[in-house]
Amino acid sequence: MIGRRLAGASVLLVTLLMFLVFALTTDRFASTGNVLNLAKQMSIIGVLGTGMTFVVLGGGIDLSVGSVVLFAGAIAGALLTEGFGAAPAMLAALAGGALVGAANGLLIERLRISPVIVTLGTMVAVRGLGLVLLQRYSSWIDVSDPVFDALGVGSIAGVPASAAVMLVLGLAGALLLRFTRFGRELYAIGTNAAAARLCGVDVAGVRVATYVLSGAIAAVAGLLSVVRTGVVSPSIGVGLEFSAISVVVLGGARLSGGVGRIERTLLGTAILVMVLNYLTIHGVPGTWQTTVTGGLILAAVLTDRLLRRSPA
Amino acid sequence: MRGVSKRFGAVAALSDVDLIVRRGEVHSIVGQNGAGKSTLMHILAGVHQADAGRVLLGGREVRIGGTAQALALGIVTVYQELSLLPNLTVAENVLLGREPTRGPLLRRSTMQARARAILESVGVGEIPVDAEVGTLPLAQRQLVEIARALSSDPGLLVLDEPTAALGREDAERLFGIVALLKARGVSTIFISHRFAEVLQHCDRATILRNGRLVETLDLAGVSEADLTVRMIGESAEAFYATAEHATPRRDVALQAHGLRLAGRLRGVDLTLHRGEIVGLTGLLGAGQNEVARIVAGDLAADAGDVVCGGRRVGVGPRAAIEAGICLLTEDRRAEGLFLDLPVADNIALPSLRRLRWGPVLDLAAQRRAVAGVMRRLDIRAASAGAPVRSLSGGNQQKAILGRWLLRDPAVLVMIEPTRGVDVGAKAELYRTFEALAREGRAILMVSSDVPELLGVADRILVFAAGEVRESVARGEADEDALNLAIQKPAA
Repeated sequence: MIGRRLAGASVLLVTLLMFLVFALTTDRFASTGNVLNLAKQMSIIGVLGTGMTFVVLGGGIDLSVGSVVLFAGAIAGALLTEGFGAAPAMLAALAGGALVGAANGLLIERLRISPVIVTLGTMVAVRGLGLVLLQRYSSWIDVSDPVFDALGVGSIAGVPASAAVMLVLGLAGALLLRFTRFGRELYAIGTNAAAARLCGVDVAGVRVATYVLSGAIAAVAGLLSVVRTGVVSPSIGVGLEFSAISVVVLGGARLSGGVGRIERTLLGTAILVMVLNYLTIHGVPGTWQTTVTGGLILAAVLTDRLLRRSPA
Repeated sequence: MRGVSKRFGAVAALSDVDLIVRRGEVHSIVGQNGAGKSTLMHILAGVHQADAGRVLLGGREVRIGGTAQALALGIVTVYQELSLLPNLTVAENVLLGREPTRGPLLRRSTMQARARAILESVGVGEIPVDAEVGTLPLAQRQLVEIARALSSDPGLLVLDEPTAALGREDAERLFGIVALLKARGVSTIFISHRFAEVLQHCDRATILRNGRLVETLDLAGVSEADLTVRMIGESAEAFYATAEHATPRRDVALQAHGLRLAGRLRGVDLTLHRGEIVGLTGLLGAGQNEVARIVAGDLAADAGDVVCGGRRVGVGPRAAIEAGICLLTEDRRAEGLFLDLPVADNIALPSLRRLRWGPVLDLAAQRRAVAGVMRRLDIRAASAGAPVRSLSGGNQQKAILGRWLLRDPAVLVMIEPTRGVDVGAKAELYRTFEALAREGRAILMVSSDVPELLGVADRILVFAAGEVRESVARGEADEDALNLAIQKPAA
């Protein structure tokens, strides 16, 4: 029990400690500019991690989110190019993401195919769809829209807009988990799906909802990606599904379901982004970053295991 | 075995237990569910390792670190759940892991001949060695399992509830085999809930209660009633608080008509009155569990319907719960509890629809409701926020009961509700059941515990081969008569 509680609190401690150590060993690290930069870098992965947390809590996994980033970006870019306003473009992108999530959820729950197989399939297929759409615009869309541009440079009370989106979504998600029937039922399903069913919980319905949420939230990440770079290119979103799963795991969630919190997923995102940023500042080549990310995940799982095994 | 102890988390499954089995003896281990029989046998079979204590074999201390070591020492265990592979043939199963080969190839004919010889040596030569095990009737599968166990020439054979699925004739054959082994000097440990079998075929018995050794006694001249009292530790009358038993009312709480399920149920009718406790019993697989699970919406019947409160109950657990039918299953961990979640969440989950304020949960109302139930059932937990994992078995069962009381159910369906619960908590649960019945709720209780049924139920329905064979009212039968009714071979 103590081990479990320590494992939960340790995510926050590790994040704070890491920030402190990095700030003390690097003069630029804690500068306002770099902190804002960190917040911006966190936003896309943090948003994806928020969606992924729902799915993982229910005992599932969603590998398609990186492709949804491209798909949603392509939808928004295409509509903007065709002369639609920012609002319809964003709504269409969200609907596209939610639709992919619904397809994932229904294939998994109705046909009882494993989440890894289904979302691996949609990961490839949805990226394909995005590329087909993008090809009609010579595989490259330059986005110039007043709303998108404003979001790119704007900030709310000093917080960059993209980071604000992440924080608002994260807060909404955390409240949803804590204070609604959906949240309670999701934890119950992840802990013991058979018992949840016998308690009258609509297990399939709740799980499908997590995939729809994950898809729609991945579309938000897609929009943030377009906002940040101002372009939709074929390579956006590649590999982001793994970053999203990584930050969920770094936040102490259990991949078999029932354990995890969005607050901690965001802390996990902070850890990942801080380490990569620290390495960049110290001139470690970007090619090493993938290896470091992998090492971080293994270290997180290992310490979690050690903490839990210690006197319970 | 000397001074054996084993803990699982906070639960002491065995404390300082001695077990001495003589060479060529048939030794029974007697105890209620949760007394520690299975744990003791698992230690002997190498499935679990003891925390303390020694195992001596032929006077020499041995270490049993795993199942392979147990087998190498000649300790062979036949479990209640069969471990045969249904898609392989009888011969392949019997010789699994010891197939005769020539180079890398199997020698099929030698294999069949060897398997046939093994089956004949235990008197079941009529079972075809080339049949797939999945196609054989259950009783024959059990005999194949035993034949396989014997083929490795054990020095100690452990039979865990081997007769639960057998009819009388096949059970007699099994005892014939045991007698044969005894003549060869092989020792047998025999676990059964059927005391008649134990008394007839075993030489001595070791009685366990709550993980502790009560005594080891010679069974000559011991009666079933004797053995029961020694096992429970108090007289059966004092144990079941039946003095203030309520008389069931006349109005119907639930009715089931013509329940059918391919291969398992052949048309079962059932009527439950308000305030009535109806027990369902029978041999393993006779259909009582299926009826309970259909009534509670867990299982869909092929035909037939369930009517509760004047309305037909829809399909699925949710519909049953809405109709006021709640289910407690025999497998608390797999089907009842959310072990890592707080007691409060475990109790409130099915009632969240009522405990909310618009789209948001009403946490204050939830706290009040949970506290009320915990007080009423005297659920002992560090706090409502403690994970349900930290509770004792009895309190965990009460937490599930509390979960359903919050739904104010008309009918409670319970499958083996006191399995794995210690004796003190059991008595408490029985009193709770009685109290619930007095409130006008109907209870449908599946149990294989005959004294429990006689003590608690107003009416007992004995199942056989997917049908209700006999209905026994309170006081109409004693333990022997009910045991007989349960074990009478199907007509």
